[in-house]
Amino acid sequence: MNTHVPHPTGRESFLVVGKDVPRTDAVPKVTGAAQYVADLVMPGMLHAAVLRSPHPNARIVAIDVSAAAKMPGVKAVVTGADTAQRKWGAFRPDLYPLAIGRVRYVGDEVAAVAATDPAIARAAVDRIAVEYEVLPAVLSLDAALAPGAPLVHDDTPGNIAHHFAFERGDVDAGFKASGVVVEGTWESARQWHTALETIGCVAQWSGERVTMWCNTQTPFLARGRYATALGVPEAQVRVIQTEVGGGFGGKSGDDNASVICALLAKKSGRPVKLIHTREEEFLASHPRMPMRYWVRLGFARDGRIKAKEIKMWADNGAYTGKSQAILGAASVRHDALYRYPCARGDSTLVYTNLVPTGAFRGFGNPSADWAVEQAWDLAAGKLGIDVVDLLRMNAVGPGDRSPHNHKITSCELGQCIDKAAELVGWRAKRRARAPDRETLTPNPSPERRGEHRASPDVPSGLVMHHEPAREFNEPAREINEPARGLGMGCSVHVNGRRSFGDWDGSAAIVTINEDGRATVITGEGEIGQGNLTVLRQIAAEELGLAYDDVDITRPDTDLQPHSLGALASRLTYVAGNAVKRAAAEAARQLLNAASEQMKRPPEELTVINGQVGPRNGSETEFRAVGAIVRANIYKPGGQPIIGVGNFDNPSDFPDHNRYGNESGAYNFIAQAAEVEVDRSTGQVTLLEIASAVDCGTVIHPAAAEGQVQGGVTQGIGLAMIEYFDWYNGSPTDPQLKDYPIPGAALMPKMHVAFADSYEPSGPFGAKGLGEIGLDAVPAVIANAVADAVGVRITQLPITAEKIHRALHPELYAGEQVPPPVAPKGSVWTRLAAGRPSGARPANPEMLFPGTVEEAVAQFAAEDAAIVCGGTAHALRRERSGYPFAKRLVAIGRIPELNELSIDAGGALSMGAAVNQERLYAEPRIRSGWHAIDDALEAVGHTRIRRMITVGGSIGPLIGGFDLPIALLALATRVTVAGPQGRRTLTLEDAFEKRFAKDEIVVSVAVEKLAPRTGSSFLKYMARAVLEIPTVNTAARVTLDEKGRCRSARAVVGAVSWKPIVLDLAELAGKALDENLVRGAVQNVRSLASPMSDVRGSAAYKREMAAEFAARALLRAWQRAKEQ
Amino acid sequence: MLIRFTLNGDPVEVALKAADRLLIDVLREDLRMTGTKHGCGIGSCGTCTVILDGEPIASCLQLAALVDGCEIRTIEGLADAGRLHAVQQAFVNKAALQCGICTPGHVLAACALLDKHPHPTDEEIRTSADSVYCRCTGYQRILDAYREAARLLGAATR
Repeated sequence: MNTHVPHPTGRESFLVVGKDVPRTDAVPKVTGAAQYVADLVMPGMLHAAVLRSPHPNARIVAIDVSAAAKMPGVKAVVTGADTAQRKWGAFRPDLYPLAIGRVRYVGDEVAAVAATDPAIARAAVDRIAVEYEVLPAVLSLDAALAPGAPLVHDDTPGNIAHHFAFERGDVDAGFKASGVVVEGTWESARQWHTALETIGCVAQWSGERVTMWCNTQTPFLARGRYATALGVPEAQVRVIQTEVGGGFGGKSGDDNASVICALLAKKSGRPVKLIHTREEEFLASHPRMPMRYWVRLGFARDGRIKAKEIKMWADNGAYTGKSQAILGAASVRHDALYRYPCARGDSTLVYTNLVPTGAFRGFGNPSADWAVEQAWDLAAGKLGIDVVDLLRMNAVGPGDRSPHNHKITSCELGQCIDKAAELVGWRAKRRARAPDRETLTPNPSPERRGEHRASPDVPSGLVMHHEPAREFNEPAREINEPARGLGMGCSVHVNGRRSFGDWDGSAAIVTINEDGRATVITGEGEIGQGNLTVLRQIAAEELGLAYDDVDITRPDTDLQPHSLGALASRLTYVAGNAVKRAAAEAARQLLNAASEQMKRPPEELTVINGQVGPRNGSETEFRAVGAIVRANIYKPGGQPIIGVGNFDNPSDFPDHNRYGNESGAYNFIAQAAEVEVDRSTGQVTLLEIASAVDCGTVIHPAAAEGQVQGGVTQGIGLAMIEYFDWYNGSPTDPQLKDYPIPGAALMPKMHVAFADSYEPSGPFGAKGLGEIGLDAVPAVIANAVADAVGVRITQLPITAEKIHRALHPELYAGEQVPPPVAPKGSVWTRLAAGRPSGARPANPEMLFPGTVEEAVAQFAAEDAAIVCGGTAHALRRERSGYPFAKRLVAIGRIPELNELSIDAGGALSMGAAVNQERLYAEPRIRSGWHAIDDALEAVGHTRIRRMITVGGSIGPLIGGFDLPIALLALATRVTVAGPQGRRTLTLEDAFEKRFAKDEIVVSVAVEKLAPRTGSSFLKYMARAVLEIPTVNTAARVTLDEKGRCRSARAVVGAVSWKPIVLDLAELAGKALDENLVRGAVQNVRSLASPMSDVRGSAAYKREMAAEFAARALLRAWQRAKEQ
Repeated sequence: MLIRFTLNGDPVEVALKAADRLLIDVLREDLRMTGTKHGCGIGSCGTCTVILDGEPIASCLQLAALVDGCEIRTIEGLADAGRLHAVQQAFVNKAALQCGICTPGHVLAACALLDKHPHPTDEEIRTSADSVYCRCTGYQRILDAYREAARLLGAATR
């Protein structure tokens, strides 16, 4: 056994710990061999589909499943009547596995089907008839808290699911002693985990016992809850963890999916697989809980914190899950970050008829940080102290205790603050700037109740208040010049927490085997964070074995000791300690065995690289570990080497009001970011973000860095791009298109550093770090935005539109906001038609015509559709559920449609089946028609361009598509073929007069551009990845010999039914300048008739239409000049 | 409807249950090649990326009937007799994965890029990596893996 003596500065010399050993799961994951729950197949396995409530609040009058049950292939249908009718839930049992008499949110589970084929199961769901009595619903905190509001649960008056309050220390005296006080109200947002693998289960009963293969983070906790929900003893439930395709809190056993799967398996007597669709994941998983968070901070004039007070309300959704605990974390955890002498709080968990919320990486901290870290930034401004210095001055350190008795052990927060600031060049960038600015605060929620307001005299609408001069603000700039700003924030997190009873421990068994290898037996599991790798490293280090010689088990509740699993950033610290102790015990037994066999006292022996021998002994004196184990077994009374290790977090079980030391150790982070804000659009570009983390000893640097980078990225998503449009209590389009997550192109320069730190109670000095990378990111970005342009965003997300409105309030002065209307398409189309499942009854015929004329003839028949790239058909099918047609005419292989040529006169001709990737690869298009190339580039990826054809882009005549907008700026003619023959028309005419229903696009021809002509295409997407942009524009400018404008055209799409085409005759003959160009497109605002949606309000889209029309023209003009 | 195509170098023949069956379902359900993962079903996430005639596509949008006669590569077709493909090795070397559900998509997107551009620019790498979502890693190590893969492939051909 290695004996580790902590280095005075915390450094030790390790053989395995601190090394980037190959991840345990790497090879199976890169080869596709890893088995996720959706990959499991059992003989006779059925597929499940779930019927969900279309109403946010309704009484179930009657359910008739008879038609569904009779369908061939359907083997079981279950409703609430088939369940034990027992409520379940982690802390506050309030959820039935399937609705009993009442539904409480859009997505609430009502019934489910198991059938031999997924398509049959979905079709059967549509045959279940449910009669609802729709009830008034509470769809916001304010509605739920209003006097006399409808109750989400009849037994919960006032919709208050949970409430607690505390006062620790003399808060009034603290504020009295404060020279500077800041306060404000912030609102955080729902965020979906969006693991790329959805929640799923395969369940199989054997007699009275069910085995559930689940992608759960917490197999043992899930088993307990599932047993409750099923109404059977825990002994009848076995949970096996499959590979988990991302958890982030969303797979911690609070959803009904696995329970319903087990119910169906019981009733059908066959194994059943239930996998959430992406839509179900958005409707019915448990996203992050949004909070309204009022905070007041008091400071001495020198910057020392004197007092803190919070009051907050959290939107629980319809059922509680873990939200009660999240409320607690959001209320008190932050007080372990700075040296608050006192704190007062009042926290309320509120039921609403919205999707239930739950655990998500950060567990309440991001909402607290969103408010409090911005309040600290406000305070820095008011105090006239650089926020870095202010945070540094107040940061907790080793030995500190929070007002709630958080006992700070190791803590390098100060080091983290310095490092984060250094990584973004904070001091140098600050020195380059000068003082004085006003701050604009967009009032976050006009509907907010007066008592929640930051200050009661704040009127609704935009509020301007002056923040005191900061010594480091920028000099005044041109109004439309991009502005840069810096932001800083910190966070603290636990390493495990006593949440489910007075134990936050872990137990592990380590065996050293006769083959010389060791096995770590633990039920803690792996969700992608690298836990199995880290636990193997800890065991190998402790045992003196090579990492490759240590194996580890996957969770199976039948096989391992009780384990809490992946939650509360606990595994490295809590499970790591248990494994280390088990390994130490196994090593002790090994050395005792060796001592007996080698006739030396055990303290003289050690294990090095799989060999046991005397310390400082010669090579020949060493014996293989396996040989020693074997000799220890094969003797009378012999036994294998089995070490058992237990560790319980040295923490308190906090009381009802959250007093108590939550964890034996705490991890810390400081983050700094620089943003650039485009004042003309409000768009924020995150240039760089630095994270400096104190997680003690870093066990696996690559995995640790990955945890931070991944957390930061989810924080960026939460801050800026992850949000939906809502209608009647549900996202209008619950798909990944309307809810983008950050892609690689959005990534800023990302720095990660680890503090030199050592936690005496951690394994080899380590602490956890799974969640902390995310927590402060939204606040850090908001602080940087405030620094850049003086706009303080108080309501997540930070959108370009909010910033634009705050910067240019005059543009929105006369805005008329229309009432919300029912959205078209997606889930609504299906619900309105009584076909919620998206099942497709038709099995179309696929036709392969050899010529255009043959295709036209086939297309002319009833119920036919063209397929080529494949996207339109597949997309429509996925999103609306309807079959496109009974015959699909596949035109992709007709030779004529695949022609792509540029003739002697320089004209471009593109066949309808040519895909955009082929165009993109053609250098002559790139050089000849910039607008086309820009549009192809704007598509983003080869993968998408490869699926989009010329005909598919033009045929539907949709102005939000890129290619037609670009082509409208050029001289473009379209040839179509129909039963009457062929005809050629300009693209403008096509948009005016449309194609006949039975015509198909054959080719598109674009003339060579005149000399001294530039063209361009620009797409503005507020969130970077959408199919339909906020606005897309194209332009063409031709100059005369003297460089004056001969002709100019601008095209604007996505803001009106038809594209807006402007031939700007007033520019002809003029020498262009920016003002002239901008002036020429001002009427775009009035010509546009945009819809308000997730991409922006109508008013904002009008502004952006004019802005980007001008930008496209300026770009085209520039290109014309360059010729 | 019967289709024939080349899957990872081998000829396959599949009787489609329905003419509009998607490639991802043919791979995962009919051929039991579950290395291709389902993510969103609408071509947004790229998790289901496979290589069709040398180019990355979303198999959740691809009608299987239209791949008749084509060549398809999936994650199962990269390693050769237990030896990892250079791109797979690069993802292992750089620990460029966490939960792994998007990893096949990322590995195949990288293969498709590197087949065409053995010495990609950082911009080309970023654009390719942007075509597949990853919810875990923040992409930094995936971008590293692309560079590592280019290096390994370059070393192998030198």
